[in-house]
Amino acid sequence: MTRKRLEIAAAGALALMLLAGGAIFLYAPTDALQGQVQRIFYLHVSAAIAAFACFAVVLGGGVAYLWKENLTADRLARAAALVGLVLTTVTLVMGMEWAKPVWGVYWTWDARLTSTLVLWIIYAGYLLVRRLATPGRQAARFAAVVGIFGFADVPVVYFSVQWWSTLHPGPVLVNDALPPEMLATFLFTMLCTLVLAAVMVAIRYRIEVLLDTQPMAQVVPSSAVTSQS
Amino acid sequence: MRTARIAFAIARKDLVSEWRSREMVPALAQFVVLALVIANFGFQIDAKSAPSIAPGVLWLALVFAGIVAFGRAFTSEREQNTLEAVMMTGAPPSAVFAGKAIGAAAVLIVCEAVLLPALTLFFGTPLSPGLVVAVVLATVGMSALGCVFAAMVAQMRARELLLPLLVIPLWIPFIVAGGQAVQVAMGANGTIDEALRLLLVLDILFVVLTSLAARFVLDD
Amino acid sequence: MSAIVAEGISHWFGSEPALDSVDLVVERGDHVAVLGENGAGKTTLLRILATALRPSAGRLEIMGLDALKERARLRTRMAFVAHTPGLYPALTAEENLAFHCSLRGVDRARIPEVLGMAGLANVAQRRVSELSRGMQQRLAIARAVLHEPLLMILDEPDASLDAEGADLLAEVLKNRTAVIATHNQALATRLCPRTLTLRKGRVLGAGSRLRIVQ
Repeated sequence: MTRKRLEIAAAGALALMLLAGGAIFLYAPTDALQGQVQRIFYLHVSAAIAAFACFAVVLGGGVAYLWKENLTADRLARAAALVGLVLTTVTLVMGMEWAKPVWGVYWTWDARLTSTLVLWIIYAGYLLVRRLATPGRQAARFAAVVGIFGFADVPVVYFSVQWWSTLHPGPVLVNDALPPEMLATFLFTMLCTLVLAAVMVAIRYRIEVLLDTQPMAQVVPSSAVTSQS
Repeated sequence: MRTARIAFAIARKDLVSEWRSREMVPALAQFVVLALVIANFGFQIDAKSAPSIAPGVLWLALVFAGIVAFGRAFTSEREQNTLEAVMMTGAPPSAVFAGKAIGAAAVLIVCEAVLLPALTLFFGTPLSPGLVVAVVLATVGMSALGCVFAAMVAQMRARELLLPLLVIPLWIPFIVAGGQAVQVAMGANGTIDEALRLLLVLDILFVVLTSLAARFVLDD
Repeated sequence: MSAIVAEGISHWFGSEPALDSVDLVVERGDHVAVLGENGAGKTTLLRILATALRPSAGRLEIMGLDALKERARLRTRMAFVAHTPGLYPALTAEENLAFHCSLRGVDRARIPEVLGMAGLANVAQRRVSELSRGMQQRLAIARAVLHEPLLMILDEPDASLDAEGADLLAEVLKNRTAVIATHNQALATRLCPRTLTLRKGRVLGAGSRLRIVQ
């Protein structure tokens, strides 16, 4: 995407998020049990879903890179990993803000929270590996391996912790059925968040392309000049 | 079969080297026993609380021992530039990887042979066959994962810090299942079969995945 | 069919250029010495020829096969003696060789043969850590011929070579194609009729019979 188009897309995504914010605070009804605090839910869950979508892209990109050495796939994976990590951070923080007034604790080790934390650690690891490995092929391969194992691990962690929880009952999350206005607000917010995530990935992708190509252009004695020995 | 021959040659070579130098195994064995001793002073342990604490202590000790063992499996190769010599023979990366993982698992199992009796001694954990099988199964899966990332990390900077970060999230399911196995052995509800089944599934999943991943991590 | 056909081999480490468009053809039975100062790119070139390193750009064909796609297959027919030999210090000379026999599927009967050829028969049971540097180098060369490779790539084998080692090298290179990186004039003259000189990653000159242009 050209820079101009990206700027328009970013403006559009921001506008959508503002709309979603409006819907969350003005359109959606107040929750009977939890009060205003419940409004965190819309963005919290949307961010979680958008993060998962990003990590699915990291998985796809990683597999594509290992299979075909496709550089675009690798750059996409890098971009999506970063955006996904940011979104996961948002999810965790908002989750903690929501948990305290509602449950009385910031954290509990149930399956969902534990898996989300593990997810965060894994993709923080992904980015670290990218940074610490030899830039280029090694970094791309290693990170792809981390991304693939990480993605496979999260459902496994989820199920093992859930299995363990059935044997060690802990605090139960309250799940209300959603009235139609809330559902509508949630779906809208989720859509807006996904759009925002996509735009952020596109922007980051462009940055990755520049990072990849710039230094090389200074170094390669322009392959056009061929006379050697 | 060629892969098996290569894998066992490598595992054997590692174990013979370790036996000759006798560095790692005694140190690890001492470490795990020390962990138990510390636990005794850190936690209030009586007959009632022992079943809740024993699983944690066992797996904490094993996780740390594992990190050391798997890390060492590859750093020594790197120092002597021997891994490249092995890869230059045209050996399939999955075979080389399998050999390293088997060797590292063997070292860890020797530590467990010390750790489990010590656990019985200090915490009263009965040494049931189910528990032993659970621990061995967990060791297999943890070795496969540990070695993939150890191989990766051996080629990078900040390896001591990076290995636990990458590997422990992946080990969580093993720790959960293994911990449950200890609890059942000490009298909690449920059968050990559930834990064993989960461990078996995990092993199959991760052994397959790591064998496929070996070529991306060992060879350029 | 040529043993090695290298076209436009370029390599950079990050943004550091190491090799710039190197062309090389090695026919079967050739012995080529790669000369150049430290940092000229000899080791990088040799590692690429040995398939230990993937070039950033360029085409490489070894014994008729695409070197980038058929690495495992090529490695079973080649030998690479690297700068650091990659021997296991805690194991004996014989055990080191036995290990590689297992890796390569070579009959153990070869071990006494190559040990004899390398003049190491009487130290076979000694740990590598107890051997002199010259002996270790000879052992590395002995290990390289266990599987009777068609092509040998040696990176500065003369670095710690003793007198017997030089003879061993001459013996071992007979009837084989070889590419050797070296500083050692005398060795190169003795063993390699062809030379290739590198400077800052580029081919400075190629020739037969040694004449280093100062």
